[in-house]
Amino acid sequence: MSEKTAKKVIAIENLSKSFGDHQVLRKIDFAVEKGEVICIVGSSGSGKSTLLRCINKLEQQTDGKIYFNGKEVADRQKEINEYRSKVGMVFQSFNLFENMTVLKNCMIAVTSVLHESKQEAFERAIKHLKAVGMAPYINAYPSQLSGGQKQRVAIARALCMNPEVLLFDEPTSALDPEMVGGVLNVMKDLAHTGLTMIIVTHEMAFARDVSTRTIFMDRGYIVEDAPPKELFYNPKNPRTREFLSRFLNDQKNKAETEAVANG
Amino acid sequence: MNFSDPSNMFEWIVYIANEYKYMFLEGLWITLYIAVIGTLVGFIVGYLVGMVQDIKINKQDNLIKRILMRTLKIICLVYVEIFRGTPMIVQGMIVYYGLLQANVKISPIFAGILVTVLNTGAYMAETVRGGINSVDKGQKEGAWSLGMSPMLTMFRVVLPQAFKNVVPEMVNTFLTNLKMTSVLNVIGVSELFLVAKTAGGTYYKYFESYLVIAVIYFVLCFVLNRLFLLLEKKLAKKKDYVLAVEYMKESA
Ligand SMILES: Nc1ncnc2c1ncn2[C@@H]1O[C@H](COP(=O)(O)OP(=O)(O)OP(=O)(O)O)[C@@H](O)[C@H]1O
Ligand SMILES: [Mg+2]
Repeated sequence: MSEKTAKKVIAIENLSKSFGDHQVLRKIDFAVEKGEVICIVGSSGSGKSTLLRCINKLEQQTDGKIYFNGKEVADRQKEINEYRSKVGMVFQSFNLFENMTVLKNCMIAVTSVLHESKQEAFERAIKHLKAVGMAPYINAYPSQLSGGQKQRVAIARALCMNPEVLLFDEPTSALDPEMVGGVLNVMKDLAHTGLTMIIVTHEMAFARDVSTRTIFMDRGYIVEDAPPKELFYNPKNPRTREFLSRFLNDQKNKAETEAVANG
Repeated sequence: MNFSDPSNMFEWIVYIANEYKYMFLEGLWITLYIAVIGTLVGFIVGYLVGMVQDIKINKQDNLIKRILMRTLKIICLVYVEIFRGTPMIVQGMIVYYGLLQANVKISPIFAGILVTVLNTGAYMAETVRGGINSVDKGQKEGAWSLGMSPMLTMFRVVLPQAFKNVVPEMVNTFLTNLKMTSVLNVIGVSELFLVAKTAGGTYYKYFESYLVIAVIYFVLCFVLNRLFLLLEKKLAKKKDYVLAVEYMKESA
């Protein structure tokens, strides 16, 4: 482990992952400092989800190492559980527990994993549900909520663990367009609180405006890793340029239409 | 009509039912006793075996744990296959006479319960495994991502959801067991069937005698089935949630 790795919240060294013959991640190296908000963008199938899932140990890497606060994350189940309790994850498909109310969803791991009192768990749940605007729904079951509401509850549930890092895998991709804004706003607020976040997203404007660093992935490689202003407006790699051209064109067209409309 | 000196089929049925009413009642009691206990314990066996079959062996675990798990899984697999692949009547014979030969003293009723348990366990294991598999994988991952252990995840998240899918099959299994206990007459368990056989044999009125228990079996299953259906409907009904108005103002 390098000197640098020791100071990072999460550091990934030489991470590779294959499913059978299919190599999905190739020698990934990157590190996350406390308070950073990292957005990972890239085309479908480039390995973004797999990378996030490896970080959270939902997939076992084929090769390479993951460090958390300078300590290698071991493969023992107990240590993995403890590590996961500090590194939360928000999924595209929400994954709220269908057999529990919103409140119970937010409390269960606080009591059963962190062994906090019911009172403490309740207070945390209410606090974070309020922050995402879902406190009135504590008695509802997930099946009774809209996608956007579910995702906000899922974020609150993850926050109840007081995580050091929160991972997001396309949190708005399964939502109706009118729901996307609400969830993105919640995430924007979180970014401002100084929470360390790694966000896989197709929301380019969000990545550009909110992230402190943007990573572009392609075919299992990290192709470019730069501050958003640089990556979006001055991409070094031709593949990044190609990937971003559609987004930048859209932006330009929008600006032109607006100019025409205004002028 | 003359029920004390029966001369036609109908009179005979009433005569036998009346003459043997205490034995029929006792037979009914034993039938219910074996079916209820056998089914309940069988469910537990089924859940345990089903859960064992769902456990994934981790490459990272140490060798001893892996070998133990493998062995356990193989034992479960063999057990399920054998008990699903042979008739219960044969299982009854083998368990009862096998234990007798091994000088293990057990009563026919106990042997009957044991066979019912093992039989139910084998079928339930498959049902439970199906129920567990029917729960979306995301539910597990959601729990794991919060640091919940695989065991905790199973008991708090997966099983409660699997249970809902398994309940209809549990009801079905219980009703099947109620009828299947009749095969236990071969090892001398004096449940309903054996009572009918005895009663019928005394007067050479087998048809009438079996008709009596057919009615008992039918009424029992019919009534219980309706009851369970009603219960299921009640459980399935999801109540509307109440908005927690006390938190309405603070949040947008
Ligand atoms: N469990 C798995 N078994 C086999 N192949 C897999 C598995 N999970 C992912 N893959 C493959 O790995 C590749 C990368 O998948 P991944 O889900 O990480 O992509 P992604 O960048 O998240 O894409 P998207 O933007 O569509 O979500 C894909 O080709 C996919 O088919
Ligand atoms: Mg993905």
